[in-house]
Amino acid sequence: MAHSANRSAEPATDREIVITRTIDAPRELVFEAFTDVRHLSQWWGPTGFTTTTRAFEFRAGGSWDFVMHGPDGTDYPNWITWREIARPGRITLLHGDSADDPNAFESVLTFEARGAATDLVMRTVFPTAELRDHAVKEYHAIEGGEQTLGRLADYVMAQEGI
Amino acid sequence: MMAGMARAPTTADAFNAIAEPQRRQILEVLKQGERPVLELAEELRIAQPNVSKHLRVLREVRLVRVREVGKQRLYGLDARGLRPIHEWVGGFEEFWNETFDRLDTYVQELKRDKEHSDGT
Repeated sequence: MAHSANRSAEPATDREIVITRTIDAPRELVFEAFTDVRHLSQWWGPTGFTTTTRAFEFRAGGSWDFVMHGPDGTDYPNWITWREIARPGRITLLHGDSADDPNAFESVLTFEARGAATDLVMRTVFPTAELRDHAVKEYHAIEGGEQTLGRLADYVMAQEGI
Repeated sequence: MMAGMARAPTTADAFNAIAEPQRRQILEVLKQGERPVLELAEELRIAQPNVSKHLRVLREVRLVRVREVGKQRLYGLDARGLRPIHEWVGGFEEFWNETFDRLDTYVQELKRDKEHSDGT
């Protein structure tokens, strides 16, 4: 289980991925976008993805059971449970593909006010470094490859036939 | 951002190298083709000594290579260093960066709606 992550012998830096974003809006509003499926369904997932929700209960111990639909029509089952909700500063959640997913990973979202904007930080700690790498590969399979450096790398690989 | 990625911090690391915005700009230009340092400096409006410094870092991590053509040194992209980035960026982080792009757009809509309803 992902609970054991904090007690793993491997250093956390080998098991985590940190993604940050500054959003030009007050943190109450950014936080709000995470609290209701009416909001989440409008933005969850990369470009071209949509979601279908089976169940949603935003409270500590509650869960969000949903399917993500990729632009190519592939369906990805998703399951999230909220471990801690501290409005409007922090959300801790466990994310997997089902309630009993042994590879589920924990993410901590923090919302910090920076003037009229919000610093959003998502820190995801995987149970092991192998599971982190596995997640990266798995998401790579899901994703198309749109980000600048991803495209750049694709381009060079193709050029050089690697 | 790249700098936020959880990786062992070494200077000889492609991830570290591309955490610098000007170095990413250099890579973007080199994607279009090889360039001598002076041309890069002009195109990016960055002082030549700085471009040279960035190129040295990028060469160390094998993101950029150089070849001599006559008296000119031409800099171009080197796939060897890009491979780990390709594998890394393509996954989880890219997924969430795109998702947060959409979140940002959506929150801006919420903000406008809210300002509108507060104003009336």
